[in-house]
Amino acid sequence: MMKIKRVISAIEKNYITQNLRKEERFDGRGLWEYRDISIKHDVIASAEGSADVSLGKTRIMTGLKYDVGVPFPDLPDEGVCTVMAELLPIASPLFERGPPDEQSIELARVVDRGIRHADCVQTKKLCIEANKAVYILFIDMYVLNYAGNLIDVGGISALTTLISAHVPEGKMEDGKLVWTGKYLDGEYLVNEMPLVLTYGKIDNVIFLDPSLPEELICDGKISISVTEDSITSIQKSGTATFSFDEINMLAKKTMEIGKKLRKDLNLWQYKVNYK
Amino acid sequence: MPLIIKDEYPEKLFRDDGKRLDGRDKTELRPIKMEVGVVENADGSAYLEWGNNKIFAAVYGPREVHPHHLAKPDRGILRVFYRMTTYSVFERKRPAPGRREKEISMVIADCLEPLLFLELYPGTSFEVFIEVMDADGGTRCAATTVAALALADAGIPMKSLVTAVAVGKIDDELVVDLSGIEDKAGQADLPCAITWFNEELSLLQFDGDMNLKQMEEFLSLAKTALSEIYQIQLDALKKKYIEIQEEVSGGNS
Repeated sequence: MMKIKRVISAIEKNYITQNLRKEERFDGRGLWEYRDISIKHDVIASAEGSADVSLGKTRIMTGLKYDVGVPFPDLPDEGVCTVMAELLPIASPLFERGPPDEQSIELARVVDRGIRHADCVQTKKLCIEANKAVYILFIDMYVLNYAGNLIDVGGISALTTLISAHVPEGKMEDGKLVWTGKYLDGEYLVNEMPLVLTYGKIDNVIFLDPSLPEELICDGKISISVTEDSITSIQKSGTATFSFDEINMLAKKTMEIGKKLRKDLNLWQYKVNYK
Repeated sequence: MPLIIKDEYPEKLFRDDGKRLDGRDKTELRPIKMEVGVVENADGSAYLEWGNNKIFAAVYGPREVHPHHLAKPDRGILRVFYRMTTYSVFERKRPAPGRREKEISMVIADCLEPLLFLELYPGTSFEVFIEVMDADGGTRCAATTVAALALADAGIPMKSLVTAVAVGKIDDELVVDLSGIEDKAGQADLPCAITWFNEELSLLQFDGDMNLKQMEEFLSLAKTALSEIYQIQLDALKKKYIEIQEEVSGGNS
């Protein structure tokens, strides 16, 4: 058991900050280093795709469910993909049960925007019959243990979940929806691979992947989603301000680290072949 | 709008060779795996895989009661929150807790409370959070079993563990540990839990129909199965400490 308090002591805060000024982290990492990432895929039998992702001690389990519904009138031939997040009360004494709070909504929204604006899910391929029937994909993330930086873990777990997808393929026959006997898999659904990288800022020092104590004392955070060759969404949170130079530097860093991370994670290995 | 593959009930719940659809004998349990200390941040936690059921339980407490008016000046309170993830079932569950989840939470709380010495912790609360990640029949029994383990892992004084299992009737035969499909298509379902300090039933529900003779049979079937599961519980609880012991003694040699 780890003792978690809402308030970090001044001594601890000083220790973290002074180390950061020397470009060192209290847990031994460099400024631009992630904690260890481990991924398990297709862990939930009832879900049409799932992932269990850990980054250090932070752990999120995500599942994919689908429904068939009527498309939006302005996008008659496009399916829908939505992301939801729940900070389970088991994950931390700081989390309370009840309807989603700001933190869980931000997590879901940032991951959602990363996916939505990256041309990740091929929504046109989710159309069964224009104006009548399209797939609605639900990506639901559940935080099982909270030790900082939920957004990056959420991004990886949502993407792994999509890649491990096996959604039954439907077609319209005489106005009725029937199953073709085949499945839509990750390769069919997923095009771009967006990753979201979060940086913390304490006393003008910027660093990647804030751990829990860093997250609790940081002045602010910035999350940047990138695909192989473009930036697709940015979210600044907290009270810190960022200079123009810092943003430009971070954008460049994110492209670099994102490329390497995408290669290291090799998420296509989590594709599931359902016959 | 309909989902493409319907959750269809089979006509027969026994195969031609007399085994159940998943290949089990009538009194055979599904594979069960338990582990404690799986949630780093919690005071106590446990994880259970029971067939396709996958359940986490975590305990926080004794801690301050929130909201404060629920606190009792002469004793602690036990609160249980049984919840299912949206993707744990065939058709996506709505995220907000439903009536079923609230009822099961209450039943489990009533089942666990006799085990604790709440009078020793006035003004505090113990919270047990149960998250069903994947469901395939018998989740209330599995949840009760794993919740007891999490309480024990938290080091909270307990009179004993509690173990739960469901017995039921499918195609006129009595069977142990109903799977999801047997639960839905079967004729009767009797979830029960035993508190080992007095060997009495602490959770008991029944849906279906049975006669007096079957009632006796049901309970004796349940008792055998419960002892088997209790052993797995004990092993899981001990395993953590055996591992620590090995680590420590390994370091000395």
